Amino acid sequence: MAPPSATADYAAPLAAPSAERITAKISRWIETYSGDRLIKGASVLTLVGLWYFGAFMLPSSVMPAPHVVVGVLWQEVTAGPIWRDVAITLTRIALAFSTAMSIAIVLGFAMGLSKRAEHFFDVWVVGGITVPSLVLILTIFMIIGLNEKAAIIAAALPVIPILTINIWEGIKGVDQKLIDMSRAFHARQSRIILSVIAPQIAPTLMASARFGLGLIWKMTLFVELLGRSDGVGYKIEFYYQMFNMSEVLAHALLFLFIMLFLEIVVLGKLEARLFRWRPTRRKL
Amino acid sequence: MSSVASIEINKVSKTFPGKSGQGGWKALDGATFTVKPGEFVCILGPSGCGKSTLLNILGGLDDQYEGVASILGRPVDEQIANGVRVAYVFQEPRLMPWRTVRSNIEFALQAAGFAAAEWPERIDRCLALVELSAFGDFYPLQLSGGMQQRASIARAFSIEPEVLLMDEPFSALDELTARRLRQQLLTIWSKFRSTVLFVTHNAFEATFLSDRILMMTKGPGGRFCDEIGLQALTRPRSYEDVRVFETSKAVVERLVGHVGSIDKD
Repeated sequence: MAPPSATADYAAPLAAPSAERITAKISRWIETYSGDRLIKGASVLTLVGLWYFGAFMLPSSVMPAPHVVVGVLWQEVTAGPIWRDVAITLTRIALAFSTAMSIAIVLGFAMGLSKRAEHFFDVWVVGGITVPSLVLILTIFMIIGLNEKAAIIAAALPVIPILTINIWEGIKGVDQKLIDMSRAFHARQSRIILSVIAPQIAPTLMASARFGLGLIWKMTLFVELLGRSDGVGYKIEFYYQMFNMSEVLAHALLFLFIMLFLEIVVLGKLEARLFRWRPTRRKL
Repeated sequence: MSSVASIEINKVSKTFPGKSGQGGWKALDGATFTVKPGEFVCILGPSGCGKSTLLNILGGLDDQYEGVASILGRPVDEQIANGVRVAYVFQEPRLMPWRTVRSNIEFALQAAGFAAAEWPERIDRCLALVELSAFGDFYPLQLSGGMQQRASIARAFSIEPEVLLMDEPFSALDELTARRLRQQLLTIWSKFRSTVLFVTHNAFEATFLSDRILMMTKGPGGRFCDEIGLQALTRPRSYEDVRVFETSKAVVERLVGHVGSIDKD
């Protein structure tokens, strides 16, 4: 009889604290997140409320209520045709984004690392920022024609100078002391760029990527509206011509969800993983 | 060990150009000295005398100077290309905050061309020497200033440097931490016997650590004005040793003599 009772004695004190630990964990979790989540929930509810208020004040053909738009969206999503346009637009966004980002990275690095490149591209970049996107897009369509290639270049081009400036500034802010350290240990130039400079501008690159994605998606819709006959931008313009605001808002809403997903889930997770070495930020 | 001097500085001058090439600052004016292999030499001088400039020249960070700076008998830039191992400990730890302590040391080992298979053993050994064995996987920002500086000392020794350059490495720490680190530095140095060139403005530190003190005059135009041999102070040395204290007092007097005489000019 002695051995089994001994096991029971061991088991009991083990089980109790683990249950306690779980409750403690849950209450800690609620404590940490409830404040933030509550505010976020209130924020979304306020937005929806404002929308309802607008719908109440304006004719329903101008501003349909949220539930009407969601109903239309649900029909589109379940029926299927909207997905074709979403896929087309997302492809264009991906292509335009990767084009803009790669060119901006090359230009930004060149300008940040070489005085000559800085002096040479300075005027281009600053000039590029001041030219209205509309002018750039129309010019590209005029030169290349109303085709897919033109659409992607036109969506990417206005964003390139903005991203370049961001990355260029990020490289100028790189800690010279760490570069000196790596040179003192005789690290190769390629290793210094990869291991010392790149991690320091990673936060800038990350911010530029998020910022760039937001800009590119607006440019893509603009380009589709002006010069393509498919994609979400075209559909929005099509339904606008038909004066069907429910469809316009439904298309916009779906895209909002998709971009939010990309922004928060994909980029946000990536950011948290890349910068886990940073101590948690304290309140200011 | 060879009879070639570990470090040789011959009539080295350096002028930092002012705006539009006028009124530059002459940091060094014909500085000359040699350091023997395995010797621990301190350069002692007031702020702005060109101490750090000298280290930057020897570390290959600055190649705009006149005169000859050589390591193991060949010019600095040539030796860097030859892969002579020179390590540097700066006033601040200069660890990469996005890498763990271990990974920071790996960076130096890789740059020095050590095979990856050797890294873990070397890192473990050096972390043990600076009493950071438990902190290899910590990020620098999770450690105190003194621990970070110890990690940077571990990084320097991990490559078994032929020449170790130290630029006031303990001046930003509180005195008690600095004392412990000085003691640790001597213990590690006695195991590696690298040639050390240690720059400081602290006369006691220079006396406690070095075999020989080289004194510099105040800038502009830093030159070496005096030399004090400390072989009489047998190692291991301790803070309680009255001789160390008495000698450091004499060193301070000599320093004041030199710097003071320049003030009267």
